[in-house]
Amino acid sequence: MGALTRERDVREAYAAHSGELYGFAVRSLGDAGLAEEAVQETFLRAWRAGDRFDPEIGSLRTWLFAILRNVVIDLGRARAARPRVAEGGVEPSVEPLEQALLAWQVEEAMRRIGEDHRKVLLETHFRARPYSEVAEELGVPEGTIKSRVYYGLRALRVALEEMGYED
Amino acid sequence: MRTDDHRDWKLSLGAYALGDLPDDERAAVAAHLEGCEECRAELRSLEGVAALLPLADPARIEQPTVRPPADLGARIEAQIAAESAREGRVKRRRRLRFGFGGAIAAAAVAAVLAIAILPLGSGESSPAQKVDFASLPKGVSIDATLEPHAFGTEIEMYVSGVRSGTLCRVFLRDAKGRTYSAGSFRYRWGEDSHAVLSSALDLSQATEIGVHAGDRTFVAPVDRATALLGGAGIDAT
Repeated sequence: MGALTRERDVREAYAAHSGELYGFAVRSLGDAGLAEEAVQETFLRAWRAGDRFDPEIGSLRTWLFAILRNVVIDLGRARAARPRVAEGGVEPSVEPLEQALLAWQVEEAMRRIGEDHRKVLLETHFRARPYSEVAEELGVPEGTIKSRVYYGLRALRVALEEMGYED
Repeated sequence: MRTDDHRDWKLSLGAYALGDLPDDERAAVAAHLEGCEECRAELRSLEGVAALLPLADPARIEQPTVRPPADLGARIEAQIAAESAREGRVKRRRRLRFGFGGAIAAAAVAAVLAIAILPLGSGESSPAQKVDFASLPKGVSIDATLEPHAFGTEIEMYVSGVRSGTLCRVFLRDAKGRTYSAGSFRYRWGEDSHAVLSSALDLSQATEIGVHAGDRTFVAPVDRATALLGGAGIDAT
């Protein structure tokens, strides 16, 4: 299948990618309503420019994220022009957008790996707690913690690769 | 025993890549890496991921994955359908004309823009119709969108699941059983099997649409068709 020119293509693209696009939009805009707007605008722009999508050049996912990135920049500008009071919920991210996308992918990948692996990576690495302490808390040998770190990192790599990451 | 040792070293590589090993263990792993190509390769693959971890915010990791509202997909589709109703005819015909060569293209676009006004006016009472072919053999999928025009009916057809190279001949039939050819195309596996055809029969007169695909014929009623532009919803996930 080539260009994204039929309504059915858009429907399939939405089913496959809307979750991730929305997740990233919420993270970078910090507002569920704006994120909805961003996803809607992304699919509309994709539809209008459907002729120009070429699967030989890159994946549909990558193309949609590139569109979303532009939409988020546009919405960010619009928002900057009319300052508004934060409505609570998720804080908008302040990193540059490329970095925000990568950060969101790592966070999403962390959510996708198994609970045991995620927990151990969070406690030992992000919170810098000693392996012995985490082992005791979880009631497992210290060696298990070390192996969960290893397998957790490998699972994280697989999850990132599913999202298009290459090193 | 050698294998178990090796496995132990390997399991330490995660913590090593993250820089979380105590100094003495770190030195021991480094010494092992000197002489073990397999572990060096494994380490390289882990280091790429380990380097990305500082980007992530642990508080965000622990928040549940957010989902778009259930009706967002339907809203997007409705908007696209509306836009496509406004511009689709002009845009699609323009593409077709360009296919015949650049020289006549500009003139053709101007002509098409003029022509397009006619079906828009007369088309409102019978908008584009989407036809789904029911009870097809397993794996075969056919659908068609019919659009009224002054010349007759334009048919966009999508076929998949038949043998590659199959000749597909498309026709419309009216209430008296008269058949009007809409032309033919060849289904190619792996290619965009989306064909645009036309028939002289007015859409308002058409009762059936059919495809002879190889030695089989598939027919679907037109009068039971659902109006595409009425906003047939999609199941948003």
